[in-house]
Amino acid sequence: MPQTWEGIMRHFMLIAAAAMAVVGVTAEPIFAEDVTIKLWARADRSGPLRAGNIVAAADQMNRMFEAAGSDTRVKIDLIETNAAGFDADALDLLKAHSVGDTPDIAVAAHEWIGAFVEGGMLANLEEHISANASMYSDIIPQLWESVKFKGERYGVPQDSEVRMFFMNKDILRAAGKTNAELSALEAAVNAGEFTMFDWCDLAAEAVESGAAKVGWVHRPNVGPDFQMVMASFGIENYNKAEAKLQITRSGLTKFYGWLKYCVDNGSLPADMTTWSWDSTHAAFRGGDSMGKFHGIWNVGAQMESFGLTGADDYFNKIGWINAPAGEKGGKPQNLSHPIVYVVGNTPNKDLAALLVGMASQPVPNTAHAVGTNHTPINYGQTAMPEFIEKGWALVAGTPMLKVAGFMPNHPNIGQYNAVVFTGIQAVETGEMSAEDAADMVIEELEVELGDAVIILD
Amino acid sequence: MNHAFVKPQRTHGISDTVLFLGPAILLLSVFFLAPIVVNIFVAFSDMARTVRFEDFPTTQQFNKLGKLDPEALLGFELRGSFYRALALTGTFVFFTLFIFNVTFALILALTTTAVPERMGAVFRAIWLLPRMSPSIVYALLWLWVIDSTERGLFNQVIMAFGLEPMNLQLDHPMTVIVVANGLIGASLGMIIFTSAIRSIPEHLFHAARADGAGSLSIIRHVILPALRWPISYITIYQSLALLVSFEYIFLIMGPSRSTMTMAMLSYTKTLAPGIGGGLYAYGAAIALILIVIGIVVALVMWRLTNMKNLLQRPRIEVR
Repeated sequence: MPQTWEGIMRHFMLIAAAAMAVVGVTAEPIFAEDVTIKLWARADRSGPLRAGNIVAAADQMNRMFEAAGSDTRVKIDLIETNAAGFDADALDLLKAHSVGDTPDIAVAAHEWIGAFVEGGMLANLEEHISANASMYSDIIPQLWESVKFKGERYGVPQDSEVRMFFMNKDILRAAGKTNAELSALEAAVNAGEFTMFDWCDLAAEAVESGAAKVGWVHRPNVGPDFQMVMASFGIENYNKAEAKLQITRSGLTKFYGWLKYCVDNGSLPADMTTWSWDSTHAAFRGGDSMGKFHGIWNVGAQMESFGLTGADDYFNKIGWINAPAGEKGGKPQNLSHPIVYVVGNTPNKDLAALLVGMASQPVPNTAHAVGTNHTPINYGQTAMPEFIEKGWALVAGTPMLKVAGFMPNHPNIGQYNAVVFTGIQAVETGEMSAEDAADMVIEELEVELGDAVIILD
Repeated sequence: MNHAFVKPQRTHGISDTVLFLGPAILLLSVFFLAPIVVNIFVAFSDMARTVRFEDFPTTQQFNKLGKLDPEALLGFELRGSFYRALALTGTFVFFTLFIFNVTFALILALTTTAVPERMGAVFRAIWLLPRMSPSIVYALLWLWVIDSTERGLFNQVIMAFGLEPMNLQLDHPMTVIVVANGLIGASLGMIIFTSAIRSIPEHLFHAARADGAGSLSIIRHVILPALRWPISYITIYQSLALLVSFEYIFLIMGPSRSTMTMAMLSYTKTLAPGIGGGLYAYGAAIALILIVIGIVVALVMWRLTNMKNLLQRPRIEVR
């Protein structure tokens, strides 16, 4: 140990010199042009690779630059947000944009595209997509619908999913249903013979027999899932020609009337709209509830909580059906809600769009889709061994996409859903009749959305 | 006094004013006045999710709350959901205030000062516990108490008496939020009233006893007159606080229609994503009406309780 002041100084200088030498060796060379791409992505357990695939694409691109002898390097500045959901995140994103902090790439729920475009935040990707056709031509055409606003594409679908009705077959067997009856159910739904009312009757039967504590549960808060059920009652919520939302009083009355029917027959808890997500999930995964409507990404958690292994085990326990038709002879429905990449209208938009294109290729997308139970975006992915082995649930869900609807890309769809939800709550809690709730909701929609919504009858 | 001293004193006066009142004035204007001014601007705009003023000034937000109707009593008719929010706010504030924040707080103060000092302090400390726990913990305990299944504490208790389990959130939502807010709110009044009772000179109690007064007469003729000013203060302060309070309502009831008071409505329209947030101007308009109601309520109560008189001259002799 150096004891004198001089000794201490010498010691210190030695350490400093060593430190400088280390820094000098390991510091990255400063390139002529560093392009920083700001990537906005919500920290989300259901999709860490949504951001990770962009970062990997940037690495790939940097290797290309290096091989070409270019000094340019792409750096990803990841803005990982903490919002509770995609709606909260979209609001934060719009706030960031309004103070000039527009990210170059953002991960978002597709229905916000309308609000983003109206806020002047997004780059139109039509030219980019046609100029880079080889990157995009295998994407499932239906999915492009989800990123269109007024006919033009403003994003690239990043994953897809199916939302449907889950049922616990063990509960139904305990309630006296035979395996043959259960297998016939799916076909009956698709043929329009098994209606929404039959669904609630079935659930009520399970409760009455003591096999289930709760008939069925729906999401406890505002969200897209109700759209498929409303569609079953004939509500088409978007008018493409006029790019406006729409609703019918008659359809709404039928939809609310059905909810009332389900509460009255004991299959749907009257206070469903005050439940937490946790208790909603627990009701189905804990074997208390016969049915639930939600999405295919639940399969992983269901396997875990029921202790299931493999596809056969799973489908022996759990059944999937589309949202049945509202009336006999009607059409079943389901909903797909893609999460998308959007590109900000920034000076780096061309580079950002290419990164999005690279991250949307089969290999990175499959890594995300299989890991998080999302259906693929490219046709080719379904043939990949990884998908066939690990993604059996997704392969099983893909045929359901045939009757999938999307949420409209209208800036006011979140508000529309929130108002419709107040009616759901009013009816379920017994505060209002279906007719009164429909009147109340139509009035609120007219007042809050004004010209943005068309009241059809 | 010498003339030469007057001038420097005046400048001293100004610099002293700036020095001593400056920070307070700055704080008040930045944190109290500025938000109200900003709120007024936003309320008369169309600011929504893009956080932009595109149409200003406009009364479109207020048109969402009511519409002009020449046949109506006041010349305008309130919209259903807004009328409902007003009525719910009134019910919530009235019952929480009078049952708990004033009456129950008074009972607590009277009883804990009547029992031996140490025991009183223990009871008061217990009543302060909910105020010390984080609101989310307090709300969570409530959720466990009122759980609609057989697991809920309340249901376990009533089932022990052979009653059916109840779903309080669904069937008695207002009672739930009044009691939950009241039990936490009573402690403030309790503290203020206790200190007021403690400051009543001891000899007044002895004199009253000597004159043959019983406990009730002492409360009525000695204690309550001394509590006039604290009671007025608590009434005004707590009614203003309850008008804008939504924390426990939201944590316990969520965005339920049955407890959608004005403050809750304003919150759900602005900062609560997933249940229709992002309509900043709409929420600001509701908040502006709340501010106006708050000012009117404060002034009326000031007048009714004769606060001005009470503030000018102390009513009790304090040594």
